[in-house]
Amino acid sequence: MESRKTQIWVGLFVVLGVLALSFIALRAASGSAATAGETYTLYAKFDNIGSLKVRSPVKVGGVVVGRVSQISLTGEYYEPTVEMEISADYSQFSETSSLSVLTSGLLGEQYLGLQPGFIDDTVGMLEDGDTISDTKSALVLEQLIGQFLFSQGND
Amino acid sequence: MEMLRRLGKKSLDQVAGIGYALAMLMNALIGKPNPRKSLPLFIHQMYVVGVLSLLIIIVSGLFIGMVLGLQGYTILVDYGAEQSLGPMVALSLLRELGPVVTALLFAGRAGSALTAEIGLMKATEQLSSLEMMAVDPLRRVVAPRFWAGFVSMPLLALIFSAVGIYGGYLVGSGWLGVDEGAFWSVMQSSVDWYDDLLNGVIKSIVFAFVVTWIALYKGYRAVPTSAGISAATTSTVVTASLTILGLDFILTALMFGG
Amino acid sequence: MSNFVELNNVHFAHGERSIYEGLSLTVPKGKTVAVMGPSGIGKTTLLRLIGGQLKPTSGSIKVAGEEVPALSRKPLYELRKRMSMLFQSGALFTDMSVFDNVAFPLREHTNLPETLIRSIVIMKLEAVGLRGARHLMPAELSGGMARRAALARAIALDPDLIMYDEPFAGQDPISMGVIVKLIKSLNDSLGLTSIVVTHDVDEVLSIADYAYIIADKRVVAEGEPKALLSDSTAIVKQFLHGEADGPVAFHYSDDDFATDLLKGAQ
Repeated sequence: MESRKTQIWVGLFVVLGVLALSFIALRAASGSAATAGETYTLYAKFDNIGSLKVRSPVKVGGVVVGRVSQISLTGEYYEPTVEMEISADYSQFSETSSLSVLTSGLLGEQYLGLQPGFIDDTVGMLEDGDTISDTKSALVLEQLIGQFLFSQGND
Repeated sequence: MEMLRRLGKKSLDQVAGIGYALAMLMNALIGKPNPRKSLPLFIHQMYVVGVLSLLIIIVSGLFIGMVLGLQGYTILVDYGAEQSLGPMVALSLLRELGPVVTALLFAGRAGSALTAEIGLMKATEQLSSLEMMAVDPLRRVVAPRFWAGFVSMPLLALIFSAVGIYGGYLVGSGWLGVDEGAFWSVMQSSVDWYDDLLNGVIKSIVFAFVVTWIALYKGYRAVPTSAGISAATTSTVVTASLTILGLDFILTALMFGG
Repeated sequence: MSNFVELNNVHFAHGERSIYEGLSLTVPKGKTVAVMGPSGIGKTTLLRLIGGQLKPTSGSIKVAGEEVPALSRKPLYELRKRMSMLFQSGALFTDMSVFDNVAFPLREHTNLPETLIRSIVIMKLEAVGLRGARHLMPAELSGGMARRAALARAIALDPDLIMYDEPFAGQDPISMGVIVKLIKSLNDSLGLTSIVVTHDVDEVLSIADYAYIIADKRVVAEGEPKALLSDSTAIVKQFLHGEADGPVAFHYSDDDFATDLLKGAQ
């Protein structure tokens, strides 16, 4: 009888552990679904990426579709190049799509905003390894203020 | 010169100790287990090591979560960022406090008991008599306790974190008035399965391995007298706690530092 | 093969302390052999050497024709199933009842059904007179009962060899008598070979077929009990008749007594 009770308790203990895991996994945490499954890689070159970081999200209209996987300087002129892993669920972006470095809120983190381009027969779709050419760089506050003062002085 | 010699001897003893500990674990874990005989032993040890530690884990988890909620709120509210209370509580628990505090409590509650039990079995010649009965005490006594500790501690750490998050929610949302929806949704969007949950679980698996190993080894090598056993028990708690904290720093640097 | 256990020129050191230097003795099959000697000369060590728990520095230890120190793990464990040892403290498992303690070796080493195990355990407990105590925990037993329960556990697998480590130490006269009778009757009825390590001379000589006296790291005298008792060698006389002065020093060796006393005055 003693051992039966022990077994029930141990069973209960394991169930409790699994419940705790699922509570944390479902209620308290979320997987970045965009990077969990199959992904494909896109590249983009910017003049300035601001404070974009590896693992920053790539969003379409606020929905996360992928993450930045690598940031490096490439080419003769050392252009900042961003490598992104985009979920294979969203594989139908046209070549005319544009990408900009945006900021969430006034002081928030920076992310990449992907603006899907138009689709017709003459444009193809972005595929694994392609580079998005239409990019807008990060707004740098100091440059912005500088431009503002400069234009004020011109008036 | 004498000091140098003593230092040398101490280091050699330490290295030899690690060697003995490795040999003990190897001998305990190799070999085909016989499920019909080992499973009941394992279940019994799960009860002793895991179930009997549940109460202390749940109570501490609840209180630590509540304190985190309270402390976090008073700091965050100054910046108008009390909505970040959820992620703060959840991240502190999942990444650090869950694995570390559970391991420390486990070393004190179950680890010391394991050391004392095995030390006493040694002092009363039970280990020797097992050996003379052609039963390997490493496989019969050490192995089931090792597996039980190894399996139950990560479970305990998960329970600790879950209860702690709930405690933080009770204080933050129920008492201090952080919006319930924001508490959970902000938490959910900033806590990541891979980064936070998985790394926390990996930490507690490493701690489980080390703490159980230390506890068993200290018991197995204890000087078989009452003074020897009490020294071994103390040594288990001290060594295990220091090892946990040191390893935690290394693991944190590896996981989140890069 | 008339000798079940054979030790030949065994040397053994515990750390830096030498315990045996050239110990030789034989235990014939089916006999009871007593090994006697003053306390602290490592009689328990002798049993552990035979059981393969310790390895000698040099020399040969043969049990049932097999060289124990040379055996690898598996054959050693096989060999140990044929011997058992009664520890001084009994060494019962404190978390099991008497019944489960006796059933333990059977459950570990055989696949007998539980009903058969029960019958065997009851028989063994009956043999040591503890059938009624089967539900007690070891903590509830008196010293003598614990030793008898341990004896029941030791004979559970019907071994060929039983080694008794100080079976009479710390027993009241009645339980001492009971244990002497038990060892004798077990030996006669089961055809066991027994090694009894002790310093209780009278008890063991009443049941032993042959006896060894160990002192000074080797065997100093041997023979049948009657012959030993009439032996006139100084060391045998001192040990068997309990004389304080003789070849075995009463004092642990140290400086001269007078010099040691004077040291304090300096």
